[in-house]
Amino acid sequence: MTENPDNPIKASERSLNNPSVAPGPARMRSAEDEALLERVRAKDQNSMTDLFDRYGSMVYSVALRILKDPGNAEDVMQDIFFQLWENPAVFNSSRGSLGAWLLVVARNRAIDSLRRRKPSDSVEDVVLAAKTNLASEAESHSMMDKVRVVLNGLPSEQQKSLELAYFEGLSHSEIAAQTGDPLGTVKTRIRSALMSVRKAFNA
Amino acid sequence: MTDDRHISPEDLTLYAMQALTQEESAEVRLHLAECPQCREEFAEIHSDLSFVAMSVEQQPLPQGARQRFINRIAATAQEAPKTEPADVIPMTPRRAIPRKAVWLPWVAVAALVIISVALALQVRFLNQELEIETTMIGARNAETLKARKLLDVLTAPTAQHVVLTAGKTPPAPSARAVYLASRGALILQANDLRALPADKTYELWIIPANGSAPIPAGLFRPDASGSASVVLPAIPQGVEAKAFGITVENVGGSNTPTAPILLSGAAATSGE
Repeated sequence: MTENPDNPIKASERSLNNPSVAPGPARMRSAEDEALLERVRAKDQNSMTDLFDRYGSMVYSVALRILKDPGNAEDVMQDIFFQLWENPAVFNSSRGSLGAWLLVVARNRAIDSLRRRKPSDSVEDVVLAAKTNLASEAESHSMMDKVRVVLNGLPSEQQKSLELAYFEGLSHSEIAAQTGDPLGTVKTRIRSALMSVRKAFNA
Repeated sequence: MTDDRHISPEDLTLYAMQALTQEESAEVRLHLAECPQCREEFAEIHSDLSFVAMSVEQQPLPQGARQRFINRIAATAQEAPKTEPADVIPMTPRRAIPRKAVWLPWVAVAALVIISVALALQVRFLNQELEIETTMIGARNAETLKARKLLDVLTAPTAQHVVLTAGKTPPAPSARAVYLASRGALILQANDLRALPADKTYELWIIPANGSAPIPAGLFRPDASGSASVVLPAIPQGVEAKAFGITVENVGGSNTPTAPILLSGAAATSGE
């Protein structure tokens, strides 16, 4: 892989996988993503690789957390980025920030893989609120730390329900059967857990 | 699942996490296609879920993963020119064919799922309609039965008609009309009418509220006790009545009432 002299983004700014990379403003990061995507649409391999460098590790980490198998997790990650390469139109700025969008897609694809089923939804269905911008805060890891603090502070029942639904891909009825709680209680706990997360980031 | 208008936030959350059944998911998907408010909340939930994903401890990529990806996209870039020779007209469509062949069954399946869900919803809707109609028919049958009993009583030749009055006061002729303009239905029950010569008859009249000519509403003669009734005469529907009147006419009736009007009564405001 050679350095692309036309790349609008400096090489030192292209990786989120390197914690030492300095954070940039959210809007700038989104603009950079958009500039890279524009080049990807023109089939620029270097720009696609740059996007891979930015978000590959995050996507892989989510897939690995769910699948617990490095090979399967890499397959999920590769497929997601390859789909973006093949069809960059699946993402545009109206779907939120690219990083956050990729995380949601990664989680869903990993769950599909865990259940050994075909993708159960289309990536076109994944649309995030416009305010969500993962990139800038992710760089400094402050957002990750904040999420962990929020999740660790949840009541244990909420933590467990969210864990089973989000990372193990159980349905609400499966969770209810496993925990012995009523369906409505399971639903409420999952919703409450997410609302705590939302509240923390809207504050 | 819905509160009639929207999907509950709990179910939207489960849908975003793919934790609903296929049927439930299809229902949510249909609703989201038409509801901007739920789509907005759905986007918020996706944002929440992206935050949850960030709680995952970051792991380094497997050795060689980056190069494998580069090789993969490079391979597709090399394939492209081979399939698009500049000076050759392909005998069959290029590249799009296998892609279509791969996706077409899924599109068909998706379409079938959507159609199935739509049909299921329609069947459910029609079943609800049927239940409502059945209930209404039952209620109408009960009303009809009651009305029939009422008519039987009013028109039965053997029914006893008793008028209670103050002692020794000669009873005055009277009549009571029940009229439903929208259905053109009229029932008259008269009492204490004087007997008439053989060539005469009583005739009932509707006095329309719009000022048009009185409408004949039936001929009748009292029995020995002075009672008589007119039940559902052939009259036009939808005529708002200002009043009703009874006159004495020659046998065979008249097209216009002949003075004097023996009995009359103003119609109260319609309750319809």
